[in-house]
Amino acid sequence: MSQPTKSAPPRSRREKMLTTGLIVVGIVLILFFGFRAVRSFLRIQFTGLEPGATDVELIRGWMTVPYIATAYGVPEEYIFEQIGVPQEGNQEKALRRLNFDYFEGEPEAILKAVQGAITRYKAEHPPPSEVEND
Amino acid sequence: MTDFDLTEFFLTGMLTYGPPALGLALLIGALGLPVPGTLFVLAAGAFVRQGVIDLASTAGLGWLGAVLGDSASYAIGYFAKGWVQRRFGQSAAWQKAQDTFERRGGIAIYLTRFLITPLAVPTNLIAGGSGYSFWKFLIYDLAGEFTWILLYGGLGYAFGSQWEAINQFISDFSGVLVGIVALGAGIYFLVRRRRQNQLEEPTM
Repeated sequence: MSQPTKSAPPRSRREKMLTTGLIVVGIVLILFFGFRAVRSFLRIQFTGLEPGATDVELIRGWMTVPYIATAYGVPEEYIFEQIGVPQEGNQEKALRRLNFDYFEGEPEAILKAVQGAITRYKAEHPPPSEVEND
Repeated sequence: MTDFDLTEFFLTGMLTYGPPALGLALLIGALGLPVPGTLFVLAAGAFVRQGVIDLASTAGLGWLGAVLGDSASYAIGYFAKGWVQRRFGQSAAWQKAQDTFERRGGIAIYLTRFLITPLAVPTNLIAGGSGYSFWKFLIYDLAGEFTWILLYGGLGYAFGSQWEAINQFISDFSGVLVGIVALGAGIYFLVRRRRQNQLEEPTM
């Protein structure tokens, strides 16, 4: 006589699905983020990290003019004057907001203006060591 | 109006209003809102280095905000306990999970504060919902959040204006850790199932 075939109980099937799901999700996450982590790590190794570096390319839309002035060692008044934005009432506004208010929302216009102002100031006021070398 | 971005909103807030904005950002992040808490802590470390905000109040208010948010999400789990008990209370698996959390929950709470941060909010909800002692939760939470602020705030301070570069690496590495946890749990269930099957097999 043949034995009737028994199917796995629902709880056992659920456990099997959960186990398989966890393993698959785990492998996918490890591969996906592992690749990205290696890429980020290599990028850091390649570019190098200097804590005090003040590259104007690092200026972002969320930054305020007083913050940029402190971080880049440029007078706040000078930046406001160079970008053509009144200082009063705009010290707490992010560049993105100033861009909307004064540059008619033209993308990145204020970023370029601020970067230009800082570059000009640095050229006009080189650090003392560079002046001595010249 | 400009496009609204919550992350940028809080970064600008930290520059304009200082440490209270960091505390608020970490509080709402701990409640489960999608804000990148680790990025804010890294940025705060960099802002301290640049002299924009003060070290003591930034660390203190950041820590307070994170712990208050965690306690609030523990409370959400706690008040949902009645429903959870009615729904799963009779289940042997839930009872076992509760026992396991009672024994090993502390280390889970501590590690999810700074190492496997995407699992922090679910851990708070489970802790509250499973009846895990609030005082024990608070002690592990305080220790974990302190480690988080010290570690990532320290990294932000060390890398200064380059903090954005390491934020990407930390975020990706955190994803790898979540994957390892999921894979580890899957392998654990697989091994347990195989052992149970071997025990249930009739001896010939």
